[in-house]
Amino acid sequence: MRLERSIRALAVLVAAATLALGVPVVEAAPSGEVKIGLAAEPNTFDPHLTVGRNTQIFVVNVYDGLTARDTQGHLIPALAESWKRLNPTTWQFALRRGVKFHNGDDFNADSVKFTLDRAINPETKATIISELSTIAGTEVVDPYTVNVITKSPDFLMPARLGELFGLMLSPKHTNAVGKEGIAIKPNGTGPFKLVAWTKNEQLVLEANEGYWRGAPKVKRIVVRPILEDAARIAALQTGEVDLIAPVPHARIAELQRNNRLAIKTIPAPRIFHVTIDVRKPPFDNVKVRQALNHAIDVNAIVKSLYFGHATRLATVVDRGALGYDASIAPFPYDPAKAKALLAEAGFPNGFETEFDSFTGSIADHAKPAEAIAGYLRKIGVNAKQNVFEFSAFGPRRVQNKTAPLFIYSIGNAYLEPSWVIRWMTQGGLGMHYKNARLDEMLTRIEATDDPKKRAPLYGDVQKLIMDEAPFIFLFQADAVFGMSTRIDYTPRPDETQWLYPLALRP
Amino acid sequence: MRAYVATRLATAVFVVVGVSLVSFLLTFLSGDPAEIMLPPGATAQQIATFRAQWGFDDPLPVQYWRFLRRAVHGDFGVSLRHGQPSLPLIAARLPATFQLTVTAMVLAIVVAVPLGVLAATHRGGPVDLAAMGVALLGQSVPNFWLAIMMILVFSVSWGLLPTSGRGGPLHVVMPALAIAINLMALLTRLVRSTMIEVLAEDYVRTGRAKGLREVMVTARHALPNALIPLVTVIGLQFGFILGGAVVIETIFTWPGVGLFTIQAILNRDYPVVQAAVFILATGVVIINLIVDLLYVWLDPRIRVG
Repeated sequence: MRLERSIRALAVLVAAATLALGVPVVEAAPSGEVKIGLAAEPNTFDPHLTVGRNTQIFVVNVYDGLTARDTQGHLIPALAESWKRLNPTTWQFALRRGVKFHNGDDFNADSVKFTLDRAINPETKATIISELSTIAGTEVVDPYTVNVITKSPDFLMPARLGELFGLMLSPKHTNAVGKEGIAIKPNGTGPFKLVAWTKNEQLVLEANEGYWRGAPKVKRIVVRPILEDAARIAALQTGEVDLIAPVPHARIAELQRNNRLAIKTIPAPRIFHVTIDVRKPPFDNVKVRQALNHAIDVNAIVKSLYFGHATRLATVVDRGALGYDASIAPFPYDPAKAKALLAEAGFPNGFETEFDSFTGSIADHAKPAEAIAGYLRKIGVNAKQNVFEFSAFGPRRVQNKTAPLFIYSIGNAYLEPSWVIRWMTQGGLGMHYKNARLDEMLTRIEATDDPKKRAPLYGDVQKLIMDEAPFIFLFQADAVFGMSTRIDYTPRPDETQWLYPLALRP
Repeated sequence: MRAYVATRLATAVFVVVGVSLVSFLLTFLSGDPAEIMLPPGATAQQIATFRAQWGFDDPLPVQYWRFLRRAVHGDFGVSLRHGQPSLPLIAARLPATFQLTVTAMVLAIVVAVPLGVLAATHRGGPVDLAAMGVALLGQSVPNFWLAIMMILVFSVSWGLLPTSGRGGPLHVVMPALAIAINLMALLTRLVRSTMIEVLAEDYVRTGRAKGLREVMVTARHALPNALIPLVTVIGLQFGFILGGAVVIETIFTWPGVGLFTIQAILNRDYPVVQAAVFILATGVVIINLIVDLLYVWLDPRIRVG
């Protein structure tokens, strides 16, 4: 009896010590199968030819970037253990040793050089070239050190070489299977291997037991594209699948009542806004732009269209982004003030304009646009609504043929406001606002490598954008995952469908 | 007969080429895929480069000539989205669409013929009224609505059928039913009206007069004659069935040609759209040809040549 008690005490002590020291007890081999239903499947597993965020947020499961994101969205080491800027146009990455591709090839500096050379080679016709176009070349310093040379200083390089656009290829395999082969036979270093894929039907991932972060917990993941929202939800309800994304906001409450299901939401870094063509009167008048911002009850839109699963934004900096300034309060909803501002600007009776929106993109833009047009009517701004199919609207925007107002959303791919703001104020492709002072501020920010020092500099940027109001500031919506209680999964704040931490509950 | 088939085949080639040309013009006039393929961060310069890389900046006749030159070799180019040759991509999806549309057609015929005959033979009675009610409902219910209702009832509430996708025989039931319902309604009405017409014919009266049983008169003498227009209509409806398949395949994520094509259209994946139009047009033309030949076989009075 006494012996038993002391053994028990010892066991507790050992367990406590293990926990305290963070030593993994015994790593269990991957086991079990999880079925997933997604609204879209990847177009390819060739990381340089991915089209659309739906693909980019998924292929990372078989690959790794040089950098990655943690559950808070912070940039962390992945295939690179560390990085530093040697001079304004040279980034040096120290690579992780002992990492192997799925087929056993070693990952090293040659893999990085091969991958980045391939990405910028015009013959690759890389769709993601815009994200890596600052790269001039890559130099192998030694087998585990590479220098990435940029055409101009690019403070974003470590983030660019992350999980969306910096996925690493094996030179031998890529050359062996060719361009058409790599699309369906990827060979990465990532947590899962692609073992089968029938397009529009299903793809099967299997755990990479030799993964450098440790083997994933689930042995097999079957991913089915289920395009129709109702069918996807039905598949979760009937237990055909264990995890679905996305869940339409309108159905969250109903699914939450089902005790065999769990709903997890996380604010996605997708910034909804209405772009205002500041070149065209009356929108060249800042008072008019501020009036538009006061006219929209964004909180009501969040409540009625997103059922509260969205977050009001004061500007175009999302809450998860570096340097988000919580002290900046959004434009209050105040139609009387909006009317007064319009009168001050010389439009006491409002005016007529046009407002573009679209359907068929990654998120619903048509419904919020309809609500916004309704609010604008209340202050006398009659906006004729044009609703396009997204594939028709995209070209219009690029050709600068948009109406003076159009709704849009941009995914903050690098969780870095400067990237978003530069894009939104580029003076073309439908976005015509430019500001020399803003440019100057951003240039100063971009010269600051340390994120901790960079963050506070964004405060003034947000104030300036708010005062100038070149957009109607809206919200960021939550990404919504529905899952069976038999699995454990926490979505990440950067839109990535990172399945490595997925686990079956005992 | 041989000359007839030859002429029909020649016309078929014309039709397929014509459809290809029209679809080529329609897709390309609506703009090129660069803006869809590239991330929003792409600059105007990068978009222009992409266009040049794929030859989308060439004049339309040049692009069409390039398309034709490749198409005669059965090469519709590599899919912009999938990075794979587009014709095999589409061809791989044919069996799924074939399974779905044929099941739908069989389902429609199996229900419509007896229902139509019963309605005709019991004209004005409760059976007729019920059959016509069903037909009216079947023709007015939108198939996408029916599809979602079926998912809710048969999958979520009763747990009888899988919600979507392709797998065992159970998977095909709801999508096939959703496609079949409109055709079923149409065919029921058609069978009913032709049967009523045929039943008034002299030879039917003769049959009855010589003491044949009513079942015999209906099944042996009237029905075969009533089926001739049915064959024509089914042939003509094949195009509509494919159209319905596009919607239904999308709702059920049925991995067929329709779903693949609609995705290609939305993503401006022109090589795939071209290959799909070619295959679907060829399919419709062949089915129509078969129907015309069946017609001759069913009714020897129809002369061809």
